[in-house]
Amino acid sequence: ANTMHGRKQPYRVAELARLMYDDMLSTAEVLRRWKGEEDEAEQEDVDEEGQEDELFQRRKTVSDDEEDRIVPKLDYAALETKWTDEENVEALRHRFASARLTGANGE
Amino acid sequence: MTTAPAPTLLKFIGSKYLVQRLVLATLTGRPIRISQIRASSHSSPGLAPHEVSFLRLLDAITNGAQIEFSYTGTTVLYKPGLITGSAAGQGAQGGVIRHEVPADCARGVSYFLLPLCLLAPFSKAQINVLFTGPGVITSSTETGDVSADTVRTAILPLFRSFGIENNIELRILRRSNTGKDGKGGGGEVQLVFGHQVRLPKTLHLMNAGRVKRIRGVAYSTGVAGANNARLIEAARGVLNEFAPDTYIFSDVSSAPFVPAPERNNPAAKRKTGLGFGLSLVAEANTGVLYSADIASPPSGGEPPEDLGKKCAFQLLEAVEQGGCVSNIAAPTMLTLMAMGSEDVGRITVGKDVLGSEPVMQLARDLRTFGMSGWGLREGDGDGEVVVSIVGKGVGNVGRKIA
Repeated sequence: ANTMHGRKQPYRVAELARLMYDDMLSTAEVLRRWKGEEDEAEQEDVDEEGQEDELFQRRKTVSDDEEDRIVPKLDYAALETKWTDEENVEALRHRFASARLTGANGE
Repeated sequence: MTTAPAPTLLKFIGSKYLVQRLVLATLTGRPIRISQIRASSHSSPGLAPHEVSFLRLLDAITNGAQIEFSYTGTTVLYKPGLITGSAAGQGAQGGVIRHEVPADCARGVSYFLLPLCLLAPFSKAQINVLFTGPGVITSSTETGDVSADTVRTAILPLFRSFGIENNIELRILRRSNTGKDGKGGGGEVQLVFGHQVRLPKTLHLMNAGRVKRIRGVAYSTGVAGANNARLIEAARGVLNEFAPDTYIFSDVSSAPFVPAPERNNPAAKRKTGLGFGLSLVAEANTGVLYSADIASPPSGGEPPEDLGKKCAFQLLEAVEQGGCVSNIAAPTMLTLMAMGSEDVGRITVGKDVLGSEPVMQLARDLRTFGMSGWGLREGDGDGEVVVSIVGKGVGNVGRKIA
């Protein structure tokens, strides 16, 4: 019970409202906390910093992330498996007006 | 006339969200200084070509703006002027401002169009800008810009819900994909934005509704039109399952012919911006729009079937995120809401859209510029959040003063 209690429930709206304007945190950190990924991710960060020398770090800062994107980068291979899965497809059907559960091409 | 005391300078760091900050500065009339723009980059410090070009555009549509670069280009001081638009005598010829985009610009033309559309409702005269030159890319790009088609079909209709609907047109005069090395294109696009308002209407969008139809544009420039058919077939293969009412237009055009002077032949021209792409828009019965965009990479090697599928998956993803606004339209909608009259506007947003870095940063930047904070509460639907934004009524600073 303690482990369940101690872990904050992710994706809570009230939590985001609190974190959103906390200027001590970067936006990436806010989102990571909100999604409840904080523990693992932070652990990894510490490890990485310890190993990599300074020169490499500096190069990393001028990566692609510095540019604004509108279209997000997506992992299309993962999406393909997701949208060929019947369960996901059925779940999305209710968002479409012509939702006949055995659609036009339904089996 | 008494002059108002100069508002204090706002300071920002970094190249990210540069355009967003410049737009907010222009709308609120507050001077800003952005420093450390790619300061740690050894190869290309300072402002990139597209950012300089955007600053020129800002200079062209405003009157009295002051822009100062530092020697290395890593710091910009921007004191906004009044948004005059394409008024006669302000650099506009025949009511049209010609904006030349340099050849080394790696961003799509939507990089300029989206912020321009945000400024346009608050302009003094109508906005009429012709984007031309060897750097205009009308397709979507690898750098993450949407295509000009998406701006026309998925972004411009959004303004209707703010009471901004007359005389708005985006003409794609010549299409172009990304040129060699992802730079330049040679397309031509004209934006006419002729509906100026005092304040945008307060928006209440709570019901996302259901997607009733899907429309799209497949474009091929300088390559065989069969690519369009292949793109469309692949996309329909995925989407027919969901929405039988799917119709994708096909547009085939020749590649733009841009000057490429050589030493021996100064009048030489070459073709650029070859490729194909697809823009999809899903429309819900409540008027909510979701969009997806993809184009062939300049290096090639991606068959149209793959791209068509990818685009369809991207659209499904956007629909799944839900809410009344997709992540592509969110910054535009939320900014306009903040500019509205002093009343609470509400909009339902998907959790993944709200919980994305650009939207978070927009919330923070808006507050930095003196807008009110957002109120969040759980929405009715699954994974939806209702965002309430109190407008600040700063909408048309230019009109109030002039």
